[in-house]
Amino acid sequence: MDFELSPEEKAFQKEIREFLDKECNENVVAETLSLQGAGPYSKELLRKMGANRLLAPRWPEEYDGRGMGAMAEAIKVDEINSHHAPFPLDGVEIGNALLISGNEEQKKRFLPGIASGEIDIALGYTEPNAGSDIASIQLRAVEDGDHFVLNGQKIYNSEAHVCEYHWLLTRTDPTAEKKHRGLSMFIVDLKSPGITIRPLITSGGLRTNEVFYEDVHVPRENLVGEKNGGWAVIMSALYGGGGGGGLATGTKNVINTLVKYVLEEKQDADENKWIPEAMADLYVKTHVGELMGVQATAFADLKVTPPYGGGGAVSRLLSGDTRRLLYNTAMQILGPYGQLAKDSKWAPLKGEILREFMDAPRWTIVHGSQEIQKLLIATRGLGLPRK
Amino acid sequence: MDPRLSEEQEILRKSARDFLTDKCPKTLVREMEKDEKGYSPELWKEIADLGWMGLAFPEEYGGGGMSSLDLAILLEEMGRVCFPGPFFSTVICGGLPILDAGSDAQKRKYLPDIISGKTIFTLALTEASGKYDAASVKVKATAENGNYIINGTKLFIPDANVADYILCVARTDDKAKKPEDGITVFIVDAKSQGISTTVLKTIARDKQCEVVFNGVKVPKENILGELNQGWGDVQKIIERAAIAKSCEMLGGMEMVLDMTVAYVKERVQFDVPVGVFQAVQHHCVYMLVEVEGSRATAYEAAWRLSTGRPYSSEAAITKAWVSDAYQRVVALGTQSHGGVSIMEDHDLPLYFRRAKAAELAFGDARFHRKTVARNLGFKV
Repeated sequence: MDFELSPEEKAFQKEIREFLDKECNENVVAETLSLQGAGPYSKELLRKMGANRLLAPRWPEEYDGRGMGAMAEAIKVDEINSHHAPFPLDGVEIGNALLISGNEEQKKRFLPGIASGEIDIALGYTEPNAGSDIASIQLRAVEDGDHFVLNGQKIYNSEAHVCEYHWLLTRTDPTAEKKHRGLSMFIVDLKSPGITIRPLITSGGLRTNEVFYEDVHVPRENLVGEKNGGWAVIMSALYGGGGGGGLATGTKNVINTLVKYVLEEKQDADENKWIPEAMADLYVKTHVGELMGVQATAFADLKVTPPYGGGGAVSRLLSGDTRRLLYNTAMQILGPYGQLAKDSKWAPLKGEILREFMDAPRWTIVHGSQEIQKLLIATRGLGLPRK
Repeated sequence: MDPRLSEEQEILRKSARDFLTDKCPKTLVREMEKDEKGYSPELWKEIADLGWMGLAFPEEYGGGGMSSLDLAILLEEMGRVCFPGPFFSTVICGGLPILDAGSDAQKRKYLPDIISGKTIFTLALTEASGKYDAASVKVKATAENGNYIINGTKLFIPDANVADYILCVARTDDKAKKPEDGITVFIVDAKSQGISTTVLKTIARDKQCEVVFNGVKVPKENILGELNQGWGDVQKIIERAAIAKSCEMLGGMEMVLDMTVAYVKERVQFDVPVGVFQAVQHHCVYMLVEVEGSRATAYEAAWRLSTGRPYSSEAAITKAWVSDAYQRVVALGTQSHGGVSIMEDHDLPLYFRRAKAAELAFGDARFHRKTVARNLGFKV
């Protein structure tokens, strides 16, 4: 048993931290906090990170990675979050799946671009009538000679408006007896004629998108995996993305910022006596969630199924709940000031808390809602019956 | 980063589990709740022969030379079966503090007998306030002709009814400026004249006692550590006991989860096992979050302790999390079981009662969150 990062991981953490301390300037932070997707400054930073091989540490060196493990990925995510560097980087996650399911030509074509920060790929799974029940998607791909013709609609595809490619789940066999057997995965050039991207804005101010496909022609070589074999590719994407989370430097920074605020602004007031214990409770929950996440990542690197099989999903449940609790508590601490937007007179802590509070509900829904996580933990981890 | 136990540790776990499954059934646990002593001397001898008391002590005293992490595994397994008896008091609250703060002579005198199972120890720290802070230590020890005379009442002292020795935390200088100063720990022969012990009737029926010291004479060579400087040692004892108790609690809640998952797979209502229902599945999933969180944090703290890293902050985080977690696990486990599990003869109430007792021991969640708050910079 060992709870410390390896010397190689510590060195990587130091390297990326120092890099972002220096390079993640206020323009980049402003773009990130605007929630409008990676802008020009962010793209420039991503290219610089790519040039320093900081974007895909988990990939083999031949694809400009470092041949490290899921823990390095977790370190990268943690540093990006705590610096407000551009995120998400779905391209890297998709690249993990490409490494498993893509052919040699596809790996050579896409991986170096992702690793160098030149291209990014948006996830295209969800549709208006297929959220958690992802196997129900309807966007149709019809084979026609050396290409496929695509028609249909995706929704909540964040970053699609700033990405170069779309990782697109389609239906190629509507007659398949089991609906998940009629799916195929494509990488689609988002500049293809017939694609329309329209903005959708969350209540937290995040720009996401709906993406329409109208007779879009996609060459056969962009099919990933087998035709009608899309479900296996999705599973490899989920597996490829396994671990990679856990470290909570950003959240601990927020707690420390709040503590400092309370100590400076709210001293001695009788009605504030609840605050130290509430903050301690949040710190405890954050720390425990971090430990569980990091251990799940370590298990992923060891290729060992953790006890009860729960792994990362268990830690994500706690961390999602804690995030909501943290920003709700923070709003209570700020009192009436909490409701002030960042550009308002009197706004505390640069309006950061309000932004995160408004954005917090997203985190218990995206990338597999908590209910789906619980279903998987209950049936796969604990072996509870489905019927 | 490696969350796995070593092969030797897995063997230790398996042998402990096999042994306890065989030798410590719930019938014994219930029998010991009613028993005057509260433990089985035969079982006590057996675990001594297995080397459990000595596990984490150096070989020179007859110990196994293993680590706090190995001991954590043993405590977890004991928690799983609600192991009755003075193991925790003797090893965690008696032997290890002597190893840590004792003189060579004291170590040579007391440790071999602890390790061989010959003597039982306990710690007399808490008093009428029921709190674990220095200001609550009011029992007095007064110097007199090379001895100290102890007077006052200690409360909630586990296993004092069977202890051969008591580590008594007493105030030796009541003019000291801070409550932390002027406290001394004494190794007291429990058979000394002037000690009277009454077993209290607790929810866990775990032989917590009132111990009255009435002019108890203790020679000054029985001071553990330094005169008037004892609070530092006591704090260490509390922190280490908080970690050890958390490991025990982890085992208990693991068992509650296992029992619950097994039960909801079998119990049929509406023609299906109730584990099919998502309401029940979500109870089980949240129990798992509590258990896995407890495992992560208890083992982190034990690992830090056993590798010589600072552990105070992690001890507080652990006992804060685990204290609440065990309550939640028991509540959800009971809810998932339904009516059967609130019957006195069901196993769940054994854990329900112990979860509360363990929460209260060595600082509850609120006590430890206060420490976490202090570490964050609050003045509380």
